[in-house]
Amino acid sequence: MDYARFLRLRRPLWEDFGRRLASLGQMRETGGRRRRRGRRRPAVPGYGEVEELAFAYRQVLHDHALAATRFPGTGAARQLAALALAGTHRLTRRSAPWRGLRHFVFHAFPAAFQRQLGLLGLAAAVFGGSCLLGLVLAAVQPGLGNLLLGPRAVAGLAEGRLWTESLTTTVPPAVASSGIAANNLSVALAAWGGGVLAGVVPLYMLVLNGLLLGGVIGIALRYSMAGELLSFVAAHGPLELTLVMVAAAAGLALGRALVQAGDLPRAEAMRRAGHDSLQVVLGCLPWFVVLAVVEARISPDPSVPVAFKAALGLGLVLLFFGAGLAPSRAGDDADAGSS
Amino acid sequence: MGDWRAVADFDRESILALDNIRLELPVANIGSRCLAGVIDSCAVAVLLVLWLLFCSVLALWVSGAWGLAAGVAGVFLVEWGYFAGMEIATGGRTLGKMALRLRAVSTAGAEAGAGSLLVRNLVRDVDYLAGVPLMAADPLARRLGDRLAGTLVVHEGRAPAVLLGRVPPGWSAREVAIVESFLLRAAELRDAAARDELARRLLARVERDAPELLAGLGRPTTEGPVGMLRLALAAEER
Repeated sequence: MDYARFLRLRRPLWEDFGRRLASLGQMRETGGRRRRRGRRRPAVPGYGEVEELAFAYRQVLHDHALAATRFPGTGAARQLAALALAGTHRLTRRSAPWRGLRHFVFHAFPAAFQRQLGLLGLAAAVFGGSCLLGLVLAAVQPGLGNLLLGPRAVAGLAEGRLWTESLTTTVPPAVASSGIAANNLSVALAAWGGGVLAGVVPLYMLVLNGLLLGGVIGIALRYSMAGELLSFVAAHGPLELTLVMVAAAAGLALGRALVQAGDLPRAEAMRRAGHDSLQVVLGCLPWFVVLAVVEARISPDPSVPVAFKAALGLGLVLLFFGAGLAPSRAGDDADAGSS
Repeated sequence: MGDWRAVADFDRESILALDNIRLELPVANIGSRCLAGVIDSCAVAVLLVLWLLFCSVLALWVSGAWGLAAGVAGVFLVEWGYFAGMEIATGGRTLGKMALRLRAVSTAGAEAGAGSLLVRNLVRDVDYLAGVPLMAADPLARRLGDRLAGTLVVHEGRAPAVLLGRVPPGWSAREVAIVESFLLRAAELRDAAARDELARRLLARVERDAPELLAGLGRPTTEGPVGMLRLALAAEER
C-alpha cells in the first residue's frame, strides 16, 4: 500500500476516532458538572458506543503499527502515534480508582495500618530506647538542660515554672492550634517522605524526638517538676507520640522496600510500599487536627483536672488504635499491591 | 494483568498497548519539567501572597488571632497541597504543566490515580535535593516521586502535521517525511530565497518522478514554488 492510498482509505476512520474521543472527554466533563449539581445520573456512553469506540481504537492502533513500520517519520505516523496515545490515555483504566471516604476509613486504612504493625513496633522500640538514653544523659549531664531548653527555661524550672506556660499564655489558642497542627503535619509528612532515603530520615526523627523527650523529662525530674510536665502532656502527649511513631513507621516501610526489595524490581517494590504507607499517613492526618485542638485548648488549661486530661489522652489513643485495628474486609491487600 | 505489565515495562520509553502494539511515549525532558516547576513555584508564591493579604485584612477587620491562625493553616495547605490538589483536580496537570502542555500519567499511559498523584507530590521535599540529577540520568526523566508513584510526565496534545495526498511513485517514507516537514515549516523560514530554492529543488524531483502531477497545475501560482509544491502533492495541514 502506498502512502497516499493509505491516507485516503484510513484517514476518515482516524478523524472519526478523534471526534469520538473529544466527545467522550466532553461527556466526562458534563458528567462531573452534573454530579456537582447533585444529579445522580452520570453521563456515560452506551454499550454500543463503547463497543464502537473500542473497535475504532484497535483499528487506530493497528494503523499506527503499520505507519510506524512502513512510513516512519511521516506526518501520518506522528499523528497516529499521538492519536493512539490519546486513546490509550482515555480508554485505559485508572491505576487506582478512588473508592470513597467510607471505604478508606473502614477498610483501606485499617488494612494498611495492620500490615505495618511490625514496623510500628520497631519505631516504638527505637523511640523508647532513645527516650531512655535521653533520661540517662539528663541524669549524668546536668548541663544538658541549658542545651535543650535554654538558660531562661531552666531558670524558670528552678523557680517552679514550666517553660510551656509562657508559650500558652502569650499565643492565642486559635493561633497555637493552627501552628501546632501545621507543624505536626509537616513533621509527619517529612518523616514519611524521608523514608525514600533508605529510612534514614524517619530513624533520625525517632531518635531525635526520643532523646529530646527523655532529656526534657530528666531535667524536669531534676527540678521536681516532672508531675507538672506530665500533667501538661497527659491530654495530647500519648496520641502525639503514637502518631509520630506511626508516621515514622510508614517512612520505614518505604526505606525497607528500597533496602530489601525481595523478588520485585526495587522501584516496583518502592511503588507498592509508597501506596500502602501513604494510606497509613493519610489516615493519621485528621488526628493531627484533633490533637492540635487538644494541645492548644485543654492541655494548658489549669482548671481542667489532671485525671480528665489523662483519661482524654488515653481515650484518644484507644480510639486511634480502634480505628486502625478494626477488622477490615478481606481482599483489601489488593489496594496496595495493584494500585 | 496490571502487575506484570507494570513490571515488564519498567525502564522503557514505550508501552505495550492492546495486541502488544508498541507506543512511544512523548516523555517530557528535564528542561520542560524544570520550566514547569519554575512557573508553578511562581504560582505558589502568588497564591501565598494573596492568601497572606487576605489574612491581614481578616486580622485587621475581624480578629487578629483568627487572621494569624488562618494564615498559618493556609500557608501549610498551599505549600503541601498545591501540586497534589491541582494534579488530582485536573487529571495530572498543574498551572506550569498546562502552560507547557505536559501531563503526569501512569507508566501504562493511563490517567494516574489520586493515590499516585499524592505520592509523587508528597515526596517533593526530597526531590528538591535529588530530583534534577535523577531526571537527568533517567531516559524517562523520572524524579524520585515519579519512581515511587509509578508515573511519568509526557507531552500532550496533537502536534500539527502536513499530510501529502499525492506521492510520486517510488518515493520512500524518508522522502515523504522530508517534504512534509519542509511544508510544515515553510511559513516559519525567514530566508525566503533559500526557502524558494529548496521548494524548486523538490519540485524538480517531483517533475522527474511524476511529471503528470505538475502538468495538471498549469501556470505557476501566486504563492510561488512552495504553493506549487503544495498543490502538486495535494498537501493538507492537519
